[in-house]
Amino acid sequence: MTEKVRSKIDISLPQSATAGDVWAQFRGVERITMELTQSYKYSLGKVSRFFMELENGRFLATRCAGCGKVYAPPRPLCPNCLAVADWVELSGQGVVKTHSVLHFSPGSNDDVEALETPYVLAYVLLDGADTLFPHLLKATPDQVHSGLRVRVAYSEKPVHHPIHLMYFVPVVERERQ
Amino acid sequence: MSLAPVVAAVGATPVASEHRGCNLRDLMAEAVLDCLADAGMDDLSSVEHGLTSYESDHFNLGMTLGAILHDTIGMIPKPNVRIEGGGATGALALRTAWAHIQSGLCDSILVYGCEKNGRGVSSRTANQLFALSADVDWEMMVGGSYTGFYAAMIRAHMEAFGTSEEQFAHVAVRNRHNAGFNPIAQKPMDISIDDVMNSRPVAEPYKLFDCSLLSDGAACILLSTEEWARRHCPAFDRRAPVYFVATGCGSDTMRLGDRYPELTNFRAKRRAAAQAYAMANISDPMREIDVAELYDSYSGVEIQAVEDLGFVEPGHGGPSVAGGIFDLDGELPVNTSGGLLGRGAPVGATGILQAIEVVQQLWAAVDPQRQVAKARRGLTDTHAGIASISVVNIFERRD
Ligand SMILES: [Zn+2]
Repeated sequence: MTEKVRSKIDISLPQSATAGDVWAQFRGVERITMELTQSYKYSLGKVSRFFMELENGRFLATRCAGCGKVYAPPRPLCPNCLAVADWVELSGQGVVKTHSVLHFSPGSNDDVEALETPYVLAYVLLDGADTLFPHLLKATPDQVHSGLRVRVAYSEKPVHHPIHLMYFVPVVERERQ
Repeated sequence: MSLAPVVAAVGATPVASEHRGCNLRDLMAEAVLDCLADAGMDDLSSVEHGLTSYESDHFNLGMTLGAILHDTIGMIPKPNVRIEGGGATGALALRTAWAHIQSGLCDSILVYGCEKNGRGVSSRTANQLFALSADVDWEMMVGGSYTGFYAAMIRAHMEAFGTSEEQFAHVAVRNRHNAGFNPIAQKPMDISIDDVMNSRPVAEPYKLFDCSLLSDGAACILLSTEEWARRHCPAFDRRAPVYFVATGCGSDTMRLGDRYPELTNFRAKRRAAAQAYAMANISDPMREIDVAELYDSYSGVEIQAVEDLGFVEPGHGGPSVAGGIFDLDGELPVNTSGGLLGRGAPVGATGILQAIEVVQQLWAAVDPQRQVAKARRGLTDTHAGIASISVVNIFERRD
């Protein structure tokens, strides 16, 4: 017999009614597939320049014109002063303050979906910044600890989301300034 | 200020990983019928106001669930408002209802919350949708996840205070054990510290048994003035009156990194607690609170919470928790329901379920194996994200 409902997944019917079940007449359940496909033209807004400069191998942050606080990731508007910030370039070197070793990928975009597990999510205080920048740290998990010196590396390959134009790598001794 | 609202009645469905036989309307209806039975009322005709509590539009394939659920449970044409506050949704809904009563806008309000937590979609889709509940432009896009953010926080706590994995494993064991005495709990388990330590790593230092559950479920609380409850709720006079005496709320940055240099604890929670304690005239919470439901989204979060709520000194959470003072037979039993780890966490209902546990403890109405003797005052602690929103609600028995 051909299925009359194309989207039908399954039907489950109760074997027998439970005594006193007020919902006894409503226990048969049918499940169907519902489709919802979405694709967004998503604006990166006032932080767009950060992503554009990653393509040029430059790492930008913002500095509040009022209190001088340096934000990385950048904030166009300082939440402390509500003053409009200025762009500043940082060296891209910094230090790990805390981290986690992730054994599953949340698959939040195609770049993340492609990550090999386990991978390291590090919170990095960039030299000259006042906030921590969270990103992938490409290193053996055992190597990673608070205080580890790292630097921004720039992706050679095309990426889906421009945040993946960069990642962190440990600074090896001879690289140190 | 007028007298605090009373809890007239409560209702809930069992919490499950998937209620396959129910959509959200069905779940909500079941919880409301449970609440009516608890109230000894035939219908909701006397109730003046509704308040819908749920987090996710996309998991539930609907953008107007507030209106749909209000219609489903027969509250038309009375006023309704929908509250969303991430993981704190249910507690924020109760806080909002508190203000509705205190302001005199209404004398009775049904706070009803529910959630289905994404079993209907593929895990890739679920993960993408969960990603939308964090900082979309930065943390989530690099490959972060909430488990990872919480893990980075507890690592900082371990480095600052010497907190150990065994100490937070104690929470994972105790809360699942407590769930064994709660008939609506999703996943009671009797496991050992070793079982937790040997479970597979998810986001180090967190392992599988350190992580709370994804759940389907619904719950509701009928709040009112004392006068309204005496007139309309037959059950009210049959048990000790419980008042919703205080509520506090705080907030924090969306991204953990923007909180630097504080990485170990929850500033929003300290603020929420300070407000609620001032309102309830509490100066020594460890002594003055008898039972508490804490937001144990991950086991270590309970250790951070007992510090931020002022139960113990900053940095002392690990040894205090592992020493047993928050166990069922301890000085201040917490997560007697099983918490998010054992009872489960249907987001829009979670804060409501926490309040129900505390209220039923104050009524002395829970399973004797988890009943806290002579409990007079109880607290709920609920937060969103990594405490970007934090809510503390306090309930008091007065008889
Ligand atoms: Zn500023």
